[in-house]
Amino acid sequence: MIKQLIILFYILIGTLTPSISIALVIGSDQEEIYIDANFSGEELLVFGAFYSDPSQSRDSKSDILIEVVGPLEDVALRKKDSYFGFWLNSKSVTFRDVPGFYYLSSTSELTNEFLANNQIGLLEKKKSEMIDWSSLTTDWGGVVNEKEKEEFYSALIRTKQNDSLYKQVSDEIEIIDGNLFRSYIDIPNTVPVGEYNVNLHLIIDNEVSQEYSYNFMVTRVGIEEAIYSFSKNYPFLYGLISLIIAIIIGWSGAEIFKRFRKV
Amino acid sequence: MSIYLPIAELSVNIFLLLSLGGVVGFLSGMFGLGGGFLMTPLLIFIGIPTNVAVATSANQIVASSISGTLGHWRQGLVDFKMGGVLLIGAFFGSILGVWIFSKLVAIGQIDTVISILYFTLLTGIGLSMLIESSKVIRDRIRRKSVKRKIHYHNWAHRLPFKVRFYKSKLYISIIPPIIIGFVIGILSATMGIGGAFILIPAMIYFLGMPTSKVIGTSLFQIIFITAIVTILHATTTFALDAVLAFFLVLSSVIGAQVGVLAANKLRGEEIRALLAIIVLGVATKIALDLLVEPNEIFNLSVIRLVF
Repeated sequence: MIKQLIILFYILIGTLTPSISIALVIGSDQEEIYIDANFSGEELLVFGAFYSDPSQSRDSKSDILIEVVGPLEDVALRKKDSYFGFWLNSKSVTFRDVPGFYYLSSTSELTNEFLANNQIGLLEKKKSEMIDWSSLTTDWGGVVNEKEKEEFYSALIRTKQNDSLYKQVSDEIEIIDGNLFRSYIDIPNTVPVGEYNVNLHLIIDNEVSQEYSYNFMVTRVGIEEAIYSFSKNYPFLYGLISLIIAIIIGWSGAEIFKRFRKV
Repeated sequence: MSIYLPIAELSVNIFLLLSLGGVVGFLSGMFGLGGGFLMTPLLIFIGIPTNVAVATSANQIVASSISGTLGHWRQGLVDFKMGGVLLIGAFFGSILGVWIFSKLVAIGQIDTVISILYFTLLTGIGLSMLIESSKVIRDRIRRKSVKRKIHYHNWAHRLPFKVRFYKSKLYISIIPPIIIGFVIGILSATMGIGGAFILIPAMIYFLGMPTSKVIGTSLFQIIFITAIVTILHATTTFALDAVLAFFLVLSSVIGAQVGVLAANKLRGEEIRALLAIIVLGVATKIALDLLVEPNEIFNLSVIRLVF
């Protein structure tokens, strides 16, 4: 099915741009991810081809890079400290405009210099961190020294990684027939709703040769959306309805079982 | 099979939810308690955010206390006047409680405060139940019967604004019940509990109410206080999850009825000792979470989405 689709792409590209021999042809299986009552995460399929000419095959110099950036959010990062033997939240730092989801995937491991030079994603210039700190607005609160700031930076990445919301990999892109690629991207059930950006780069000889971007949305639908927006727009009615349901179930439960006991 | 909770914003296994509600309901039916003091920490254990756990637990208690009140009401064991006076205090207490709650959420200390409150509360309940039930078991073995005073006279009877409570055969100041209601209101709003295990002894020892009327009156009062807390949380902290509440209410109401049936077949002291052990177990888990160095000393919370 996927292969047929890609071949269709070949034909289209072939007829439109016959002179270009290298082309990043891509597709995706969905433009929207719906959060409904059964939502427990989703796999996003991204696929494409290195070359528009299907007889050509990928050499070791060409790489594919897939980047998915979720909607921005403000987060509070809190550190626990021991007070009289108790582990309590102490210092807190607020990071503004950090992506709620970040995924970076490539066919081979990319150097940080390469990513920094090409300004791809949120990669930090110095180390193997994923965020370009200079672009972040940060409310440092009581945190003053550089060492502690570094600690908070890496904790931000780490906690996001632990929640499967940040990821950097170099082994998730599958190459088929030397020319086609396919990747299943894990969208966990905790992802924020909003617009996601997918950026694809075809890299040849450490140079970005082609780029392609598109968006997809993560949206709540059906009863999930109805309940969520109702709770925000009419909080009093929402609380009241939830209460009435509890009252009805509580009351009828007692009545039904009372009959059971009499029998 | 899992279900996505729209306010908690995560998906949980539906059978886990139903069995949690069922077990807490069973215990609450068996012991005649609302079960909020177990529901909230257990919800937090399975990964529900603290604020959602508290708000939703209050909603669930409304259902279980309605079931309980009906039975006592039919037997004429509810002092509505006393319940009403307690509620005046509880109303203002819960407003203050929700205010404290949202301040604690804002400064990021809600989890810690909830843990400490729960640890204190559960240890207190667990130990007193364990001591009391073991004493009864011991006395039963020695075939002793314990005599109790019917009426207590203390400072509560010397305050102004005295009112006659016919049902409870009391002539006392309304100040102590209002204060008791106020304290319960704060606890209910911050912890997602009905507060029966504090309310009942307070009504017996401070107000001198007859034991027979205490349970029905406290249940009646708890319906309203948890209803107020539910609405306050829905409108101010936006943490009430109606989907979570629905599944908990459904399973806990069924569990509670089964619990009532089971209670008739078992001896009171043994089940109380059993509950005491469960309560102490939960308290220990909370204490360990506070005392053992966590694997990850940082925690992240989303303040807002940027559009």
